[in-house]
Amino acid sequence: MSRLPIQPGELLDRDTVVRFSFQGRSIEAFAGDTFGSALYASGRTLLSRSFKYHRPRGILCCRGHCANCMMTVDGTPNVRVCETPVRDGAVVEGQNVIGSLDRDLFSVVDKVGGPFTPVGFYYRTMIRPRRLWPLYERFLRNAAGLGKVPERDPHNRYDVEHREARVLVVGGGRAGREAAAEHAVAGPGVVLVDELPELGGLELPGVEVLAPARAIGVWEGGLVPVEHGNLLLRYRAQHLVVATGTIDQPLVFPGNDLVGVMLPGAVERLVERYAVKPGERAVVIAADDAADRARAALDQAGIEIVSTVRLTDGRTPAVAANGRKGQVRSVTVDGRTVDCDLVVMSGGRQPAYSLLAMAGAKVEYDAARGVLVPAAIPDGISATGSVTGAVGEQAVPAASYTAARSGKCFVCVCEDVTTKDVKRAVAEGFDSIELAKRYTTVTMGPCQGRYCHVQSIRLYAQETGADEAAVGATTARPPWTPVSMGLLAGRHLEPMKRSSLHHRHEESGASLIWAGAWKRPYAYGDVEQEVRAVHEDLGVIDVSTLGKLLVQGPDAAEFLERLYPNRFGDMKPGRIRYGVLTTDAGRIMDDGTVARLAEDSYYVTTTSTGADAVNGWFEWWNAIWGYDVEIANVTGALAAVNVAGPRAREALSALTDAPVSNDAISYLDAKELAVAGVTCLVLRIGFVGELGYELHCPSPAAEHLWDAIVSQGAVPFGLEPQRVLRLEKAHVIVGQDTDSESNLISAGMPWIAKLDKDDWVGKRATQLVQAAGVRECLVGFEMENGKLPAEGGQVVENGRPAGRVTSARRSAVLGKNIGLAWVRSEAAEEGTRIQIRVDGRPEPATVRHGAFYDPEGTRLRS
Amino acid sequence: MISPAFLSPDRCEPSVRLVSPLERALTGIDPGRVRDRSHVGKLEVRGDVASLEPAPGDRFHRIGPRHGLYVHEGPTAELRDSLTARGYAVIDQTGAYAAFEVHGADVLRRLTDLDLEALPAAGLVARVRGIVTRADGGAFVVYVAQEHGHYACEAVLDALEGLGR
Amino acid sequence: MSFLLSCPHCGPRPVDEFGYRGEVLTRPADDATLRELCDYVYFRDNVAGVQREWWSHRSGCELWFVAERDTRTNEVLRTEVPDTQRGSRQ
Repeated sequence: MSRLPIQPGELLDRDTVVRFSFQGRSIEAFAGDTFGSALYASGRTLLSRSFKYHRPRGILCCRGHCANCMMTVDGTPNVRVCETPVRDGAVVEGQNVIGSLDRDLFSVVDKVGGPFTPVGFYYRTMIRPRRLWPLYERFLRNAAGLGKVPERDPHNRYDVEHREARVLVVGGGRAGREAAAEHAVAGPGVVLVDELPELGGLELPGVEVLAPARAIGVWEGGLVPVEHGNLLLRYRAQHLVVATGTIDQPLVFPGNDLVGVMLPGAVERLVERYAVKPGERAVVIAADDAADRARAALDQAGIEIVSTVRLTDGRTPAVAANGRKGQVRSVTVDGRTVDCDLVVMSGGRQPAYSLLAMAGAKVEYDAARGVLVPAAIPDGISATGSVTGAVGEQAVPAASYTAARSGKCFVCVCEDVTTKDVKRAVAEGFDSIELAKRYTTVTMGPCQGRYCHVQSIRLYAQETGADEAAVGATTARPPWTPVSMGLLAGRHLEPMKRSSLHHRHEESGASLIWAGAWKRPYAYGDVEQEVRAVHEDLGVIDVSTLGKLLVQGPDAAEFLERLYPNRFGDMKPGRIRYGVLTTDAGRIMDDGTVARLAEDSYYVTTTSTGADAVNGWFEWWNAIWGYDVEIANVTGALAAVNVAGPRAREALSALTDAPVSNDAISYLDAKELAVAGVTCLVLRIGFVGELGYELHCPSPAAEHLWDAIVSQGAVPFGLEPQRVLRLEKAHVIVGQDTDSESNLISAGMPWIAKLDKDDWVGKRATQLVQAAGVRECLVGFEMENGKLPAEGGQVVENGRPAGRVTSARRSAVLGKNIGLAWVRSEAAEEGTRIQIRVDGRPEPATVRHGAFYDPEGTRLRS
Repeated sequence: MISPAFLSPDRCEPSVRLVSPLERALTGIDPGRVRDRSHVGKLEVRGDVASLEPAPGDRFHRIGPRHGLYVHEGPTAELRDSLTARGYAVIDQTGAYAAFEVHGADVLRRLTDLDLEALPAAGLVARVRGIVTRADGGAFVVYVAQEHGHYACEAVLDALEGLGR
Repeated sequence: MSFLLSCPHCGPRPVDEFGYRGEVLTRPADDATLRELCDYVYFRDNVAGVQREWWSHRSGCELWFVAERDTRTNEVLRTEVPDTQRGSRQ
């Protein structure tokens, strides 16, 4: 291997020297080189070890398609070095080896593993004895996959860019360039992408040229994501032109994977683009004229062609390549051996139709040419050039599958699938090419079938006795080209909802947890202390996450009456009722409070997680019903805090001039009030069981209001204390204590359902449920000993599951462990003794109805 | 009877400091990169908005067939009254939206696939619902739910960094 | 899924901006039998072909509309905001 003198079409800038390191050695390259071409020029041809057998591999395609040149560059695994431009100071390492590329301990698999690792071995070996599985697993995890994901922080920045194109042309060959130029005449918006770097500087009037850039697939809606460096360009194209040309096909013969066995295009690119001499003595095995192009390149490089084997004369000679230390050393044709260090194999050219197939085109086998061609191309897409299959000469079904005895014949180099594997799959009864594909993994490697699809179909046809057209092609699916996970992920975008008080919580040192899409305080410090503050003094919690809807208009009352089981039409303005939403299946969907602001205006709160769904639910029903109401989602416009505790009135009174006595603002009253100068809608409700006021204020004023309340001595409390407090009141959390099966009857809320009202959503189902009776009920329970069941724990009867715990907490104020659970309706009576499994043992508990704490509700009404 | 005027921050006493949802996210950030526009009055206007002409200095961004966002600098009380008198349903959403101004279509393209030639438009911006509008001088003003404001600003700043700005 | 859906107000937008509420159904009367109710609540025609279904442009203009979509190809043939009678009993 050596560098040739300056070649006419070379991409090298010989004045700029770039150095990188490979296995501790410094490699000198020119700007314009790829890591692969520079390594070849330096004499390094063994670039990787194969996936399964760890066989030495070198450049096969030299256009970034196959796995043969995958190396780890600066910590990034699976870089196809044959098309990755050199970078100064880069560190290039081999991968998938124990030891080094040259002395890979894993290569023992190739020598002795063959008989023990046949196709699908992982489905049937290493299964017994079961106790050895941990050992097997460790071995398999080590052996599986290619490359190692760097464990340190991602060092590559990936991003996604949304783009539109009138015409997107994929493939910058002659046909692609012509199509682009033609479309450019009609106006702007033409983009041409090509996978090879050469087109990078191409000037095409009116055309945006991107190279190297790879279309990774075609999705619905004309979506074509294009990999362009570390940028994923999400193109939506009105018209897609596929000009992806053809793909050189390898031949299948023993030793066809040796280092030095190449496709014609690889020889051409090494010689003409990178001025690398890939060998001294070449054998050309050709089924078509692609080899003639390669011959020109060989001549140009001064490489001696010691033998040419033509497969075009109807005869299939027995060909085998022989090697030493993984390098090709000679080729034997019909028993005659010639020495060589380079083999150019050309098995014809297959149209690169995958993008067309992904876009919905059909794929047919052209028996005359021996290739698969696209047909019935859908609207909005066109194909041009050789990808259509209309150009090129007759390809001869080639290769000497039968001579496979003397060594491994690879059908698929990426996945190390041999002819023997495919034959075995057929023998084992995989009677469809799609199934055989999944079993052998042929076409499932990095090249995505470019170099194995046609070969595998031909072999499969031969083995099954069917013709290729009947065998059919496997489905083409994105991605068409290997693409890094980072590129698909793009930037780290994880939407997080922050309440208007988020920063106050952070400043107070609250521990924040995800609650749906929100980050909310779990607690600010000690949970029990926060609970005690609410019971004995004064607490404040941020409940801005509650969904908030304004329903206004002449039909507001009738609209809500039809949506809810509850009755809202008879409410006086300024009053609040608890409301539960059901679906037409009678299932509990959400709950919250409904305050009547005026005759034609209601203020509805929903659960924090249900806000968007309930808003959508309201809007949807009214799209059907057409009531004269305006539904406005004011969730974000308002912040809300719940000020609760025996001292709540005192604190409120200190912050407002308005009267706040029990008569002025009674339990379940709604009022507008200026609190600390902030306009608030005050809702007097009692989720946490003590005297409390929910203050809803404009979001921008939330911090001011919060600070004022805290200055009155209110202790901020988080979600966890709130969960304890509400459980003491046996208040249900929809979605935690109820699930998609729960209805008003079974959840113990039959009083919600006004069955004498006109039709409402869920009415009929609730009637039917009530008539039929329910099998389980949601009840409260208290443990009879000091045990605390886990949420999700089992209620058991005679050792069998008979229900489940949905909430359970220690209540310090009650001195008991309490909870909510679903039990069989026979066991739902107050006082029934049930058993709940705690740490594997059934422990006694008693069913309780109503609130555990302040069951008469005197505290929150006081 | 309670009127929904309690939604309006400008009803609060002058001593109340109103805090932008972007205040922390944009602390120390050059306003030339991202400028906080959250303080402006934003009214959700519903009804026959096709013919709604904003007053001089105001902007009206039509978002749906019968609603849009009316943007007005300063207190909105009078405006609310006049729009209501003209038969529109008006909801003060000033506190509901965070708004920021950013320059360059390239930044927007890394955040949204909305057609920047056909603004205003509502759609996904950095994976959350946003309204993208044009401001004077070629800038874009993006509105997102206030609870997403901090996150959206981080996403924009990160996109700018990716573009070297 | 990346197909485009044409919002009656915003025009073609990627499907992930939309919420889906399934086939357009006729809600039974409030004296429906258990079978009629179950039909409405649980059973869907699930056609391989053109189907009328509810969508909302959730992340955009928030409009609810009806689309006619070919479930085999995801081609959306038509979208419309249905006319409703006030208090309609659908």
